[in-house]
Amino acid sequence: MESSDEQLCRAVAEREPGAFDLLVERYQERAYRIAWSVLRDREDARDCSQEAFIRLHESAGSFAGQSKFSTWFYRILVNCCLDQQRRRRGWRRLVGWRGPRADGPDEPDPVEQAPAPFTDPVDGMDTERRMTRVWALVEDLSPQQRAAVTLSCREGLATKDIATVLNVSEATVRVHLHRALSTLRRRLGDEG
Amino acid sequence: MKDVHVDEWLVDHVRGELDPVDRARVDAHLSACGECRASRERFAALMTELARTAPAPPPIHWGAYRADLRERLERRASGGGWLWAWLVRPLPALVAASLVALLVMTGLPAGLRAPGTPDPLALDNTILASQLDMIARLDVVQQLDLLEDFNVIGELDELPEPQKS
Repeated sequence: MESSDEQLCRAVAEREPGAFDLLVERYQERAYRIAWSVLRDREDARDCSQEAFIRLHESAGSFAGQSKFSTWFYRILVNCCLDQQRRRRGWRRLVGWRGPRADGPDEPDPVEQAPAPFTDPVDGMDTERRMTRVWALVEDLSPQQRAAVTLSCREGLATKDIATVLNVSEATVRVHLHRALSTLRRRLGDEG
Repeated sequence: MKDVHVDEWLVDHVRGELDPVDRARVDAHLSACGECRASRERFAALMTELARTAPAPPPIHWGAYRADLRERLERRASGGGWLWAWLVRPLPALVAASLVALLVMTGLPAGLRAPGTPDPLALDNTILASQLDMIARLDVVQQLDLLEDFNVIGELDELPEPQKS
């Protein structure tokens, strides 16, 4: 019988050979996809998803089993991605980068307004080909809203799981999702 | 009426995630509020579109990904992680310093030079051009000393006599 994710995680904590590789194979595509959805950069997504697996290897013993393994692992992953974004934003401030501002009445917080990260033009062209209009608009959402939309609409996580992943309350997730969808609807309406 | 709208519960209502009590409350509101009913329908359509059209990330080679991950893990486990991080940290400053040194060694590009400063290459060309005429008459130039002596000898009688003291 196939081991569950939680059993494999305990096996990783006990350094059983092969357990970590099995978990990586199970989660590598999801981890890379989520990281790319948040970061929109191939190399950063690759780097952050690998970093999340390394942190999983180091801290598997701290997985208490109170939540699903996937929720616990996504939290590590999303933290890596948001850390990476903060570092990039720091670099952009240092070199005086200024992004587009879209001051809507729903989103008064300038930090929340941080736009999608700058991406390599070649990677950007590739991304553009893959992007539909609605997902292109998701790019302009704040990192937390983008993460909430990705985890909810793409990965199918429930509100309480998204709350655990983002380390916020369920009410905050509802607000993020409601504001994100309202903004998207309004912008789609403006474009249409 | 505005204070009883259920905007922030609509996403969970669409996804069927509400507990029975909250669901009954939202259902009751929706049955009476056309505005919220319309919002719910628009959210449902948007969420369906987002799920249906989610873009795929650029493909990567999973074998190389796992090999790289294994290498990073071993480096971290062997204590090389902090060393690597320490080595990598000054890398951007090192690259910038090398670039500046290279610019200084090779001379600043023309665009960065102060206005009014002559271009060394243009100066060389001007000097060379001024010498072209001389080079064309090289045979004369080579004998210039001799010709000067001839000239002096030829005009010997015109030279002033040395004054006797």
